[in-house]
Amino acid sequence: MEPEAVESATVGVEVVNSIRERTIAENSMVVLLQGLQGEVTTVDLRDESSARGLVLNVDAFMNIRLKDVLFLDRRGQTAQLQDLFITGRNVRYVHIPDHVDIMKTMESQLAKIHRVRNFAGEGGGRKEFGGRKK
Amino acid sequence: MVLVRNLRPPTEGVRHEEANTTAVLSGQQLGCGTLYVAETRLSWFDGSGMGFSLEYPSISLHAISRDVSAYPEEHLYVMVNGKLEKAAEEEDDDGSDSSNGDEEEVITEIRFVPRDKASLESMFSAMCECQALHPDPDDEDSDNDFEGEEYNVEEADGMEVDAAVAEAGQFEDADVEH
Repeated sequence: MEPEAVESATVGVEVVNSIRERTIAENSMVVLLQGLQGEVTTVDLRDESSARGLVLNVDAFMNIRLKDVLFLDRRGQTAQLQDLFITGRNVRYVHIPDHVDIMKTMESQLAKIHRVRNFAGEGGGRKEFGGRKK
Repeated sequence: MVLVRNLRPPTEGVRHEEANTTAVLSGQQLGCGTLYVAETRLSWFDGSGMGFSLEYPSISLHAISRDVSAYPEEHLYVMVNGKLEKAAEEEDDDGSDSSNGDEEEVITEIRFVPRDKASLESMFSAMCECQALHPDPDDEDSDNDFEGEEYNVEEADGMEVDAAVAEAGQFEDADVEH
């Protein structure tokens, strides 16, 4: 593990954003989408276009990164895209593959969040919500 | 979101700068210039100072296209919510292409074609990072309450103490992480 001083200096804002994102994710259905990492699925966009590809990442703001994508634009034309980043605001639906167990996926995502948080809170790790008084 | 003249390229927070990049706006070639992927906005300027800037919230998606059957050159594809108008023309909301009623959103397609195709991944990643810095402020549906009362990690951890019990200087010998 890196010395804490170095970690604090270099991680800074990213840690705060991660904490914030974990809180947002934990309190919303986006945890389900985050559990789709590694699955191939279809994302329908607000403008009627859709993208089918491998989910690389979904963040707390529902921004979705897909790889090896077949993109169907709203005129019906297809295009292949190597990497695609869809802004959360533009997502209408995310198809959940049939084989995905929704409850298990959400539980395992929440467990991951809690593991990260407990690690951060114990021992010498950075404590989340440090300074928050009752 | 207009074409402007004499705007300066961003100097701060530029995550990626790509010279020799052609911009194609709604199918129209704008010539060769430099793309600036900055934290505040995405900009492109040609040699004469003409260019445009895009605000990240207006960008619906971006992608790397290597499918030469769809477009003859590998490029960074950006879909913008709304219309980009030349500064000289008036912005016309009842534009001829979008006469399909209120439901159809107007979009603008932009392709950034770098001479160096190997840069596409860095350009894409830089845009992902910058886009993530601009979460949707209008998002009312999700529960983004950072200070939510339901979040009681302190009780779970057992590390926080009641204000009544805390002694001054109680934690002075603890590791300071901030």
